[in-house]
Amino acid sequence: MKQAILSTTTLDTPRMPATRVAAVNWSACAAGVAALLCAPLFLGDYYLHAMVLAMIFLLPALGLNLILGYTGMLSLAQGVFFGLGAYASALMSIHFGTPFLVNFIVAGLVAGLVALPLGIPALRLRDTSFVMCTLGMVVIAQMVSKNWIDLTRGDMGLSGVARPRLGFGDWVYTVIKAPEYFYLVLALAALAVAAFVALIRSPAGRCMVAIRDNETLAESLGVPTWTYKLLVFMLSAVFAGLGGSLYAHFSTVVSPLVFQAYYSNTILIIVLGGGVGKVPGAIIGSFVFVAVSEALRITPELRMVIYGFVLLGLVFLFPQGLAPLFQRAAERIAGIGKGPRDVR
Amino acid sequence: MSSFLFEQIVNGIITGSVYALVAAGMTMIFGVLRAINFAHGEYYMLGTFAAWWVMSKLMVDYSLAIVAGVAIVSVIAVLIGRSVMQRLIGQPFQAGVLATLGLSLILQNVVILAFGGGYKVFSGGWLEPIELGDFGMSQQRVILVVVTVAVFAGLEWMVRSTRLGRSIRAVSQNIECCQVNGIDVEQVVRRTFLIGVAIAALSGILTGPINVSIYGGMGESITLKTFAVIVMGGMGNVRGTLIAGCLLGVVESLVAGFIGLQYRDSVGFIVLLLMLMFRPHGLFSSKARF
Repeated sequence: MKQAILSTTTLDTPRMPATRVAAVNWSACAAGVAALLCAPLFLGDYYLHAMVLAMIFLLPALGLNLILGYTGMLSLAQGVFFGLGAYASALMSIHFGTPFLVNFIVAGLVAGLVALPLGIPALRLRDTSFVMCTLGMVVIAQMVSKNWIDLTRGDMGLSGVARPRLGFGDWVYTVIKAPEYFYLVLALAALAVAAFVALIRSPAGRCMVAIRDNETLAESLGVPTWTYKLLVFMLSAVFAGLGGSLYAHFSTVVSPLVFQAYYSNTILIIVLGGGVGKVPGAIIGSFVFVAVSEALRITPELRMVIYGFVLLGLVFLFPQGLAPLFQRAAERIAGIGKGPRDVR
Repeated sequence: MSSFLFEQIVNGIITGSVYALVAAGMTMIFGVLRAINFAHGEYYMLGTFAAWWVMSKLMVDYSLAIVAGVAIVSVIAVLIGRSVMQRLIGQPFQAGVLATLGLSLILQNVVILAFGGGYKVFSGGWLEPIELGDFGMSQQRVILVVVTVAVFAGLEWMVRSTRLGRSIRAVSQNIECCQVNGIDVEQVVRRTFLIGVAIAALSGILTGPINVSIYGGMGESITLKTFAVIVMGGMGNVRGTLIAGCLLGVVESLVAGFIGLQYRDSVGFIVLLLMLMFRPHGLFSSKARF
């Protein structure tokens, strides 16, 4: 009961006419998409930047949601792959002048490939040892980025990463203004969400759920658990790398600061706060914990204090994250929340 | 060259004894709670800041600041022990990781918000050199080593022959049996936590004069190095952490001296990764502990 912070064992059994809840969910979804599409009409550049950041963080958060929610491993290394993607993208852009979409894909591939040799030993560990091991990766990434000066220029970082250029043949368009960037990131984030949903609904996704719920049983039924875990670790790195690439082209500067604990913690809060293993969870989480705090101009230190209290609250008060609260709101709107609540 | 080597080894043992002190508390807390305390280095930082604050604002002497600093951090530890740590009994490992990670974010950033993020100068301490032949070191370093030995002897005695020590050993072995036999597990967890935190704060205050500059984020790197030490020593093994801490300190200082200063801080993590992969049960025990 209390230990539910990760046991997303199953979704709640539908207590009510599922179709009505689904209708509310779909209309909330449609309203959200419509609101996002219209956002640039109403919001100033500053708030658009906040939204863009939230959508950038959504990508590594989806990756963490995959590894934590679908195989049950708590990885703090998402920030490493986020930073790797950012560096890969920045280096490609600066040294080869390759267009944005190429960098974007290369960043994802680099992160995924680096995750392979890191994952093989790390995935032999369980529970706390795995957490400590991923934390060790963060520190090694920080050290490499600071000391491999020929490649990364150390603490000075890489500046002058090109703004995204989209083009076909002779027609080239450079994305500079905030609304343009907003739509570009929105499109890519929507694609990532679609890819995530397609993945977890595929047969592979069902195998992952089986591993999360009972690894021994899954293995006895012929699911190659080790291969799947490695695959999930790599895929989560790919998501993070893609997010890092967006970040590099958005901020145009990449320095060893991207490996700070700040990024890993933000990604962790998004996923845990939203609700582990749930797609809407990561989306809601990234808007609540990045866009809102960015829009309110809270200093990073105060934000970390708030994150700390959120973590404590999640452990002791809301082990399921915020998503169930939204679910209840949807049920209430559907007119079924009037009866006694906790009849199960 | 050989005197340089000797100096590096002595320096390594001194830094290592700090790691050992901090790790001793963490490994004891792991013993009773089965949870890694991600916030443990923050208490080291809090101790240093409390002593610095008392010295610079209330103008008290360093020797009094040691007592005041440990007292202030102990009060914080009692509050956190009651509100957070004792509630972690019987929770899955994720709860421990996330709650202590949350605590570390709160403690670290509250200190930065209160005192600013920049470096502060920790003045005070006993810095007169003691000469041993052609080799000299400050009194503060000697005191640090003496305190480390005393604390470990005290812990050994406490765990062996006091009622609290026996309960700590019992709780580490089997929580349910302790509850059945009338041991107040929550109290044991609170007291173990308090002892561990007080030792971490003390080691922070004693290293202040050696490191001179202090800053709000200094706890983080200590926490991470402490992980390496407790894994090397064997999780829950107090005696093992003393040797493991000194070992890590010596290796770090040799790497800093012969390879390059910038690689110093990565030694801990490479050791941690190698240990987790090849000897997760520690250097000294043959039995897997987790």
